[in-house]
Amino acid sequence: MSVCRPTRCLFSWLSSIPKPSSSASHPRRPFSSTTVRSGRKRRPHYPSIKAEDLALLNQAAETNYPKYDTSETSLLSKRYTKSQIAAIKAAEAALDPKDIITQGQRRTDPWQLPYEDDLAEVDPVTDHADKLSHRDIKGPKNFRRANEVERDEAIAQIANENLAKLYPSGVPDGKLSPKEQQHLEEAMQAALTQAALDPRAIYTSDNPHAVAALADPRHSVVLPDLPRIENRMARQTRRLSNEEQEDPRERRLLQYMDWDKKELRKIRSKTLVVHGVTNQTRMGKIRSMYYLTIAGNGDGLLGVGEGKSVEPEEGRKQSVMSAIRNMRPIPRYENRTIFGDLEKKFGATRVKLYSRPPGFGLRTQHLIFEMARLAGLQDLSARVPGARNKMNVIKATWEALCNQKLPDEIARGRGKKLVDVRKVYYGGSVH
Amino acid sequence: MSLVNLAHVCSHLQNASKARLGLTSIPVSKLHVKLMLGLQKEGLISSVTLGGPRPPLPYLLQASPDPEDMGKMAQEMQEEPWLAYPSERPQISRDAAEEEVSQIANVASEVYKVPIPQNPAQRRLWLGLKYWNNEPVLRNMKLISKPTRRIWLTTQDLNKITRTRASSYVPGLTHPGECMFLTTDRGILEARECVERRIGGMALCRVW
Repeated sequence: MSVCRPTRCLFSWLSSIPKPSSSASHPRRPFSSTTVRSGRKRRPHYPSIKAEDLALLNQAAETNYPKYDTSETSLLSKRYTKSQIAAIKAAEAALDPKDIITQGQRRTDPWQLPYEDDLAEVDPVTDHADKLSHRDIKGPKNFRRANEVERDEAIAQIANENLAKLYPSGVPDGKLSPKEQQHLEEAMQAALTQAALDPRAIYTSDNPHAVAALADPRHSVVLPDLPRIENRMARQTRRLSNEEQEDPRERRLLQYMDWDKKELRKIRSKTLVVHGVTNQTRMGKIRSMYYLTIAGNGDGLLGVGEGKSVEPEEGRKQSVMSAIRNMRPIPRYENRTIFGDLEKKFGATRVKLYSRPPGFGLRTQHLIFEMARLAGLQDLSARVPGARNKMNVIKATWEALCNQKLPDEIARGRGKKLVDVRKVYYGGSVH
Repeated sequence: MSLVNLAHVCSHLQNASKARLGLTSIPVSKLHVKLMLGLQKEGLISSVTLGGPRPPLPYLLQASPDPEDMGKMAQEMQEEPWLAYPSERPQISRDAAEEEVSQIANVASEVYKVPIPQNPAQRRLWLGLKYWNNEPVLRNMKLISKPTRRIWLTTQDLNKITRTRASSYVPGLTHPGECMFLTTDRGILEARECVERRIGGMALCRVW
């Protein structure tokens, strides 16, 4: 009633007067010392399409991607079920042919693939047209070497075909710009090279289907190779097979385990303990590095290995190899946890391992966690009361996991009959 | 019912199995006998025999029938094999073959005859320990109730404990093949049997 009123009057007077336009000679009063940024010119992200262009687009879409007519749908109904046809029609409706025209690219170059593929996912195994066998060739399948006349004829014909692919609307003639001229020359060169390399130019047959099959990559025995990347980085990172075999320790390990390299690649290892040790001799101290590594396949095999050497890399490798060599099977309940609670003492270190229900996870300290992960255990908890020497924790855990007492063995020892009722209760869906 | 003696028995059995003994003895009491019979029923020990300060002879050495009786025995055994086992029941009189049958029965009962001292203080309970795969079958035996603190468990407690959950300050049976013995008003029973019969009792010891 009192204080607000004069201010309100003031504001109302302010709002009533016309706002000064930005183009006025007085610039806006700056509220900060930074210079004013000039307004960004707004440009659309996509160029707007004119109505007439749209009409052309529609035309192109209709001609290139026509809708199914009745004869085609009747053919489809012979091959597919009703629900499948409905799915096909839904997919067709979802894809706007205008988008395919504007965003997709149709290749017209001489090296285009003889089949349709957007190459969004190039898979070296699956990315090729469906293979055809000799049974798909109609008529006799005889070939003979073409004589010179036939060869030249074939080359001319194939080159013409290729050129027609490059220029669907006819080869341009008359006066050409130098760029167009060069393009045409390149195209002719490519067409002729392809024709000369084509097997149809070398062999011929009375059966036109057989000749066509010669050039069809779907009949090829050899799948197209993966493109090789040839640059310095690739060459440096690529390891040759003879280089890999050079490690004599690995070769000995493979011989010992009676494995090949593929199996070795499945093994995962992790160095958990690294420290320096010294040997005091008459001459002085000899320092070397000690490594303790665990290795496992993530599916019930676990090993612990030690290595020591003056050379760090040598010691580490030694420990990895011995870990792989020492791998032992770990019995797992339902492939996820241990059989009951375990307790093991190694030196002054006591390790207690507890089996846990599905979905519990590995709630243990880091060393036991790593071991459980490599062994393929999923539900486990552990306690290490008292001494926590890293080496002893690892060794105690390993011994405990390896020397589990299995229910079958216990039942045999007690002379009891053991029946797994889970198979009855859970419909046999147990490990 | 002294739990002190039971504690001694527990540690003695652990020590004996660590020392790989085949046969060991414990003091005789009704509690011990029943508990040991329970252990035998669970397959944790092989034999329970009442004897004196000297170990009883092994079964094979205890008595050997005369060679001329063996042929007759074998024939009888083929016809009635159950006669190999001693029976508590007195032989009911039968026809002509009665005498021979009773003779075999006598032989069978003699096989199990073990000299027991008259003085009860000298009696011992002899237990046969079991080993499998170079490992003792009974490795751990531990008292649950202590002489100073008895623990009584209800059926609900036992339900939880046999399903590996702790209850009434007793941890669950989490070790593989773990057994727990209770003394109930129906005798000394294993925990799972108590659950089946829905009875509770005083926890004695756990074995695994």
